[in-house]
Amino acid sequence: MQKRMWILPWFFAVAALLLGTHTEAADQPKVAAPAGEAVVVPTIAIDKTELSNGGVIKITGKAPAGKPVYLEVWADEHDVRSSRFDADPDKDTGKRPYLFYITGEMPAYYKIFVPKEMKKVLDEEKKQGNKWSYSKLLKDLGADVAYNEPAKIQIDRHQSSLMASIIGSRGPLLEAMDEKQTRSRSMQLIKARFRSIGNVLAPEIDIQPDGTYSATIKVRDGVAPGKYKIVAVVDKKVKSETLTFENKISFPTMYLDNAGTSMNLVWPFLLTLAVAIFGVLMGAGGGFIMNPLLLALFPALPHTVVAGTVTPTVLFSQGSGIFNYSKINFISWKLGCGIGVAMLFGGFIGPKLTEMITLDQFKFAFGWILLILAALMFWQTTPKYLAGNKKEQAILKEFKKRAEESAKSK
Amino acid sequence: MKVEFWGQEFKVNMFVGCTGGFLIAVLSSMFGFGGGPFMVPLMTVALRLPMYVVVGSSLLAIFFNTSISTMRHYQFGNFDLIFFLAMFPAAILGGYIAPQIAKRVSPTIVKRIACVGLVLLALNLLGIY
Repeated sequence: MQKRMWILPWFFAVAALLLGTHTEAADQPKVAAPAGEAVVVPTIAIDKTELSNGGVIKITGKAPAGKPVYLEVWADEHDVRSSRFDADPDKDTGKRPYLFYITGEMPAYYKIFVPKEMKKVLDEEKKQGNKWSYSKLLKDLGADVAYNEPAKIQIDRHQSSLMASIIGSRGPLLEAMDEKQTRSRSMQLIKARFRSIGNVLAPEIDIQPDGTYSATIKVRDGVAPGKYKIVAVVDKKVKSETLTFENKISFPTMYLDNAGTSMNLVWPFLLTLAVAIFGVLMGAGGGFIMNPLLLALFPALPHTVVAGTVTPTVLFSQGSGIFNYSKINFISWKLGCGIGVAMLFGGFIGPKLTEMITLDQFKFAFGWILLILAALMFWQTTPKYLAGNKKEQAILKEFKKRAEESAKSK
Repeated sequence: MKVEFWGQEFKVNMFVGCTGGFLIAVLSSMFGFGGGPFMVPLMTVALRLPMYVVVGSSLLAIFFNTSISTMRHYQFGNFDLIFFLAMFPAAILGGYIAPQIAKRVSPTIVKRIACVGLVLLALNLLGIY
């Protein structure tokens, strides 16, 4: 402030001088004023502007000496969803808020690179396992000044309730949050989306005493294609120009828009083929094996997308099964529809619950479901069951034969 | 409720059937699987229906659940078209190949292998290894 005051007399003097000849020019010294504050704008340069499904990129530049530099990198062209169900008791009142936060504007890639000396802080927080806090880390690292791009995303807030869950709704939409709230909630959504510390923060920047810095950053494979932005930040207001580089991918690697990740499509194809064959052989839908396998093999896929995309795949095999049975009139429509109506309600509620739970809860519950299923399967291979089943199968075959014959004769 | 199937009549306790069906539907749509392996034991053991009534009808019941949950997942933006297009043809192809192999392998052995596989997957999900 002091400095600006010092400039003022000069500013007026210059303005007075210029006033006689050029009226508009009087504005110019104002623009130049910040330079007088001894603010050095950091420079930034990158060694390449194109990556092929991830890769390494070298960043160099110069920042004011003695100050930490942060690099904020984000995918500019692709946004993803992120949601979080807040049911943690409030610190003061002990009440659970049951608020559901969701955004569709999360950058598909977001990472802040910090100076190498800060590795210790990161390692310390990594010991917390899944309980790490993004906002606390940013504060500890001083990197919250670099947290700008996702701070202004649009976040919807829903007041959930048991009743709303039963009718399968997210609950009423609450009024928009202010800037500060959006900023802190967006940090929680970053964690919900990218999950591990290594995905959003990395100590990679080498800073020399004179302020020059360099960093070799590795953009992991499987991230969104398109334009990426990168900016070096020193302070809230002191940042470099924004540079752009592009990540290119080519078939059979394709970008999955809802999953927010690109993937070589050959793998899911082969996996589905194997699982589908095995599923038919063991007499269970492939969904049971498909979901956990996808989660285990492709950790980048969100569980909501896995569940939401495997379901329609299963749908068609069921449809063709029903068609085959109905051709020989081997379905009790009354029984199927009767129980089907009850299942209709269940199917209405389920998908909403998928997005309410975290990946860990999803894995935990699915793990137990699989154990129960394994027990069921085992029971079906016990000699006692097999003996009973033999009779059943014989009757089944007999009836099916009759049904087929009568269908033919018609 | 009484159900007639190929000249025979069965008494079905619809309360048990619907409650069980509902719970299975919530779980299966939540986690994105079909639900057949749970539905068949429910109908054979809890409802005491013979296998030949169950095979077709359970499929029909599940179909209700899967279609509505597909809709809901789509509505919530959980459905990824490209990912689906990568898996769908494979699922169809698998459906054609499987019956050719099925004649040559014993279902009991397949089920035992599946058992081991499922336990391993479950332990993986539970983070035990």
